[in-house]
Amino acid sequence: MYSGAMSDAIEKVNATRERRKLEQIALLPEEAAQKLLNSYHPDYRESAFRNLRVGVNCGARTTHEIADLLESFSDLDYTKIDLRPEYDTDVLVLGGGGAGATAALFAESNGARVMLATKLRLGNSNTIMAMGGMQVSVDERDSPVRHYCDTMAAGKFAGRECLVKALVNDGPQIVKWLLDIGVDFDRDAIGNLLTKKAGGISAPRLISIGDHTGLNIMKVLKDEIGMRDSIEVSEFTPAVELTTNEAGECNGAVLFDLGRKRHFVVRAKAVVLATGGSGRLHMQGFPTSNNFGATGDALVIAYRAGARLEGVDSFQYHPTGVMFPEHMVGVLVTEAIRSLGGHLLNAKGERFVNELETRDICAAAVIRECENGNGVMTRSGKGGVWLDTPLIEEISGKGVLRKRFPSLYRHLMRVKIDISKQPLLVFPTLHYQNGGILIDKNGETTVKNLFVAGEAAGGIHGRNRVMGNALLDIFVFGKRSGLAASEKRFNDPGKVTLTHVYSYYNMLKSLRISSVAKSPTLFPEFIVNKL
Amino acid sequence: MNLANSITIELEGRKIKVPEGLTVIESLWDTGHDVKRGVGCLSGLCGACTVVYLEKDSKKVRFGLGCQKVIEDGLIVIMLPYFPSRVAHYLLTSMDSPLQHLAEIYSELYTCNDCKACNVCPEWIDVARVMKAAKDEDYETATNHITDCIMCGLCASRCPKGIAPQHVALFIQRALVVERLFPPNLHQRLSEMESLKFEQELARVAAMGTDELESYCHTLGEA
Ligand SMILES: Cc1cc2nc3c(=O)[nH]c(=O)nc-3n(C[C@H](O)[C@H](O)[C@H](O)COP(=O)(O)OP(=O)(O)OC[C@H]3O[C@@H](n4cnc5c(N)ncnc54)[C@H](O)[C@@H]3O)c2cc1C
Ligand code: FES
Repeated sequence: MYSGAMSDAIEKVNATRERRKLEQIALLPEEAAQKLLNSYHPDYRESAFRNLRVGVNCGARTTHEIADLLESFSDLDYTKIDLRPEYDTDVLVLGGGGAGATAALFAESNGARVMLATKLRLGNSNTIMAMGGMQVSVDERDSPVRHYCDTMAAGKFAGRECLVKALVNDGPQIVKWLLDIGVDFDRDAIGNLLTKKAGGISAPRLISIGDHTGLNIMKVLKDEIGMRDSIEVSEFTPAVELTTNEAGECNGAVLFDLGRKRHFVVRAKAVVLATGGSGRLHMQGFPTSNNFGATGDALVIAYRAGARLEGVDSFQYHPTGVMFPEHMVGVLVTEAIRSLGGHLLNAKGERFVNELETRDICAAAVIRECENGNGVMTRSGKGGVWLDTPLIEEISGKGVLRKRFPSLYRHLMRVKIDISKQPLLVFPTLHYQNGGILIDKNGETTVKNLFVAGEAAGGIHGRNRVMGNALLDIFVFGKRSGLAASEKRFNDPGKVTLTHVYSYYNMLKSLRISSVAKSPTLFPEFIVNKL
Repeated sequence: MNLANSITIELEGRKIKVPEGLTVIESLWDTGHDVKRGVGCLSGLCGACTVVYLEKDSKKVRFGLGCQKVIEDGLIVIMLPYFPSRVAHYLLTSMDSPLQHLAEIYSELYTCNDCKACNVCPEWIDVARVMKAAKDEDYETATNHITDCIMCGLCASRCPKGIAPQHVALFIQRALVVERLFPPNLHQRLSEMESLKFEQELARVAAMGTDELESYCHTLGEA
């Protein structure tokens, strides 16, 4: 419920609404947009970054939060641990989101025995939270070539050609697979997959399942995994380190049993790392839209094993994360609200950016307003801007918010905020890790027998990801890595060692780097900051 | 800790003061509970955090999500993060008309006598209606609202017949897709890809340098 100063501020939103309906704000010319980004986008804030002092990417730029983790000692007392494998399998998949589940299913169908180990419950992931949809070129006005161009352009031409090509080429086939296992994508009147347009996409290409695309795909994947006899699922057992053999090739992982509070080793012919993104590292203090387990563990454990990273200085900040009520801080408010005409407004009730600009530009503009004293303050002293949701009901008809965005509507109704009558306070939220561990077109990293799929992987989205390409990416590269990993099932995995962890430790020591961070992080600290 | 703005609740069987404004999950963390089993997305989407609560002066025990339920003075609350339910074993890909097998796969569905005890959905789904439609073989109606289901299992915890509505509905949802017409636009695109229609152009574009690709992108325009 809004009260005090916030209620007063809402009056200004109501007062300007009629006038704003006719107001046009032009898109920023390229130069002005770049200037805005340079001054206000978090990726351009030099003081938030430093260059890595160790490892394969020595000298590369990344955020302090990630550098702290990469430059820290293993949390595992590797001198004490029993390295005799408790489990032996063909393919070990780490991470139970969309990428991991897909890799497991394809590896199994190719004849491999699979173990899928995950941090929380199977399916608790960023995947279930994806609302908007998934990109795939099935519309007759569209083509894989267009999809390729849009992806490259959005990524500021930093994506790798072979990866983007694989992404767009596999799209239609992967949707067929999803349909075959019973994923119910929205259809039009004659049964075509319903395609929508979205910012940064040159043709209608977004396919979806209501406002719960990721959730409904993940439910099916999880159900299907349960039906496959050769997939063993291990929940509440996060990976804390990879293992390597005499030749430095990956051959398993050390997992931590959260219930028994003990470590154990799984040996495998190949490992698929699919532990997702890093929003819960709260880069530069930003709120996040990510799930509780998104702590960037893959980056840390793969880097220690010698895998090359790419683009880990580039993140996506979604312009509209909830800022109030406080228990929902960071929760994503989908782009679709702005596509339907929702205005962004500062404390004076005035618009300050064309809401259909790309995510990075909108986010930078919101930050500019708040830093220049034009934000609306919450009781705990945080600033945000208004997203005028009642305007949408006026444009598109009564009841449209409840119908189109049921979960957002419900969650706010529970705390007596009716978004069809009152605006919503928003601020940019840390949303997506654009870079990650570099892969080739089969998902293999620079470490042999170590595959990566999903948000943990890097090289596909360049410096910015367009809406809908993350979901496609996790299925395409989940499949590719699952199939390629299962081809290794006749390998001899060799001896299980932590030699790479020892050498990493020595490297840090010789550089006199001693960090206080423990890594991987596994779980974010809970800080009560509402008092 | 400053407990000036605190309220008293009964949390997991213990009366305790907690700062106001927290959710149930946050108050568990705040009071030293190491909650991992009952937490996932923190956004009301994963269904890992179900709670049972009784509000002050209320006669009715209610159900909700721990990451969304904000505590109030006098609240009595416990977590119910997991409720066991039977999941049937089936391979959809090897069934021709899977819906015909519903009666074997989830036979317990037909013991439903519409008592409506399952209508405790935190996502406001009318679960009883879904079950009734399923029994009446009106499968489109049954799956109409099921895309909102977060599989928290609260409905199953209430059913006196031991039905797990979330799993029954998921089977129907999956089975319906298999029985639907294959999307014509996808069919068309797949055959174009099979005949390598875009192969040459894609190879040409992928071989372009950045500047060339950038100007090519500009010429594309909107479709
Ligand atoms: C709110 C939100 C909305 C989004 N909307 C869209 C959208 O509309 N369209 C789109 O394309 N993309 C969207 N995205 C992005 C997309 O959902 C994700 O990038 C994608 O789902 C990531 O999939 P993944 O399988 O790589 O990782 P995840 O789905 O996050 O899965 C990673 C899994 O690994 C587990 N894990 C983590 N650490 C460890 C460890 N150490 N050991 C073992 N397991 C571990 C986690 O618990 C989790 O289960 C959205 C993201 C968010 C957060
Ligand atoms: S933690 Fe996912 S629904 Fe509450």
